[in-house]
Amino acid sequence: MPDIRRVKERLFLALVSLLALAAVAPLFHILATLALRGLGAIVEAGPGFFTQAPAAPGSGELGGIGPALLGTVWLGLVSALLGVPLAVLTGVFIVEYRGSLLAGLARLSTSSLVEVPTVLIGMLVFLLIVKPMGHYSILAGAVAVSLVMLPYTVSYVERALSQVPHTYREAGYAMGMTRSQVAYRVAVAIARRGVAAGVLVGVSKALSETAPLLFTLGSARGVYPTSPGSLLEPGDAVPLLIFQLAQTPYENWQELAWGAGLVLTLLVLLLFTLVKLLVREVRV
Amino acid sequence: MKRRLLLTLLVAVLVAAVAGLSLEQVPGLGGQESSKHSPNNGEKVHLQGEGSSFLFPQIQAWSEALRERHPWMAVSYNPTGSGSGQSALLSGVVDFAGSDPPLSRAAWEQLRGRVLQMPVVIGMVAVVYNLPGVGELRLDGWTLARIFLGEVEYWDDDAIRRLNPGVELPHERIIVVYRSDSSGTTEVLTLFLHKSAPLVWGEQLVGKSVDWPVDQTGRGVGAKGNQGVLETVLRTRYSIGYVEYAYALDSNVGVARVMNSAGNYIAPTPQAALEAARAALGSIPDSPLGDWSEAFDAIVYAPGEGSYPLTSWSFLLFHSIYPGEDKARAVRAFIEWVNTEGQENIVEGYVPIPPEVRQVNLRALDHVEAG
Repeated sequence: MPDIRRVKERLFLALVSLLALAAVAPLFHILATLALRGLGAIVEAGPGFFTQAPAAPGSGELGGIGPALLGTVWLGLVSALLGVPLAVLTGVFIVEYRGSLLAGLARLSTSSLVEVPTVLIGMLVFLLIVKPMGHYSILAGAVAVSLVMLPYTVSYVERALSQVPHTYREAGYAMGMTRSQVAYRVAVAIARRGVAAGVLVGVSKALSETAPLLFTLGSARGVYPTSPGSLLEPGDAVPLLIFQLAQTPYENWQELAWGAGLVLTLLVLLLFTLVKLLVREVRV
Repeated sequence: MKRRLLLTLLVAVLVAAVAGLSLEQVPGLGGQESSKHSPNNGEKVHLQGEGSSFLFPQIQAWSEALRERHPWMAVSYNPTGSGSGQSALLSGVVDFAGSDPPLSRAAWEQLRGRVLQMPVVIGMVAVVYNLPGVGELRLDGWTLARIFLGEVEYWDDDAIRRLNPGVELPHERIIVVYRSDSSGTTEVLTLFLHKSAPLVWGEQLVGKSVDWPVDQTGRGVGAKGNQGVLETVLRTRYSIGYVEYAYALDSNVGVARVMNSAGNYIAPTPQAALEAARAALGSIPDSPLGDWSEAFDAIVYAPGEGSYPLTSWSFLLFHSIYPGEDKARAVRAFIEWVNTEGQENIVEGYVPIPPEVRQVNLRALDHVEAG
């Protein structure tokens, strides 16, 4: 007679694996579709996919996503430049100066920033930067996405710093270090991988957001932002291009959007792989 | 040690990349051969537009072609919707707006003389359906209104059968697919229903988004965007919906012939749209400074034997005064090009405006000034 308990366990295992498979299947379906259609578009367009501007709708040609790709690189750089110091400092402040009213306030406001719809952040930047400047710009887009990345990076930094055992800090104090020295020389130094992971998560968020760019960037699809001066001019970004081209009835634009989707996904996957590597090593 | 070396290398590469890219901007050193044609000392003049997402592909195509014709200027367009386009123009953030409806009469009164309006392309709304086995379908405004009200429940209703003698219609419930988001497409459809069947489709049901009465019967389905409506119709048997003509063009969805005001059943074609536009010429003002609010109304359900009844103008809006001569010159070049060569560079799915309208639009050139 078969062991009923073993059978039950087997059944349970099968059921759980099946459900787990069902849960991740859509993700793999999306990735597979994206890879197939995106790769098809990139192969068809050739190397021009990464340098040219999109071809005219319905023209049968593809063109490329050059200006948008360049714009996304700028957005990543500038938003990291603006957002990372702010986010890391805030995270350090929240953990190392725990207990002060201001730190509590900072923690509350950054964590509630996650709840704000990102399109509203775009509107805010529209009022604060675009309107006074009189036109859209890559800078305005970068400010908007750096606000979006802020809470994610802060919470990563926060978590990383909280994992640093208190005894290390005490050792620092025992050596006569000041509070800020303990925060940076001891806590951040030990948690640096976690902090770096937070920065990468923030940057990948900045690269993949669409909504904050709707009212800040300007969708300048044919202009290459080649010099730092073009930061003050309108620009384009890969997620914005995908969002706008995919909704049109023109097949060549839809194909371009598939290709751009693949590029963006690979970019973000790369960043997340780096994050995973960084975070894993800190625990070993 | 190795890590420090890597870091230094990375910084060096970054600096070199930025420096290389900036060098390219210096005239004579690379790129920018166009600067010699430029009246603006090599500085590109950037025209930023915003508004109607319907106009977006066409403006993008114009922008591409303009880059070759006038390399000294660049046109960008942010497709956020007609409403945001109008307010962005009025707040001075953009140089021109794309809008499916023109300014309302009240807004025009307020801005009199400061804003120029011109229709630049003609669009059509196609009534699409999913009826397996039915090739051609004819509908009139009255029946269509009663379908969208939910009063006509089955495809083999007498109202539909009467218009389609000889067509085998199934005894199936009609699923009505409408736009869940605010849209100019909905406005054109509801305006047509009101004009062709005023007793059935009241004025309160005309607009960019309406409370669809068919929802109360449980046979209404909302979908986002033209693409959403098209896909829902293609997926849902026995459904009917409406999309911009361009979306119906290359898909194998059924497209209904709709009865125009002369009593003929017309399929959406560029010729039929042009005929509607010609029939509505009497309603357009003689200047871009004039009030265009009635022109939008007049082209829907326009008279004429061959006019397609669900036709509409799409407008560009400009300021009359721009900061600096460069901007004003670029705007004039853009307006002139759009109303001449641009009309031969029309993307599939749009229809060029008749020459009479181009002449009126070109009068804008006298009103764009630097100030």
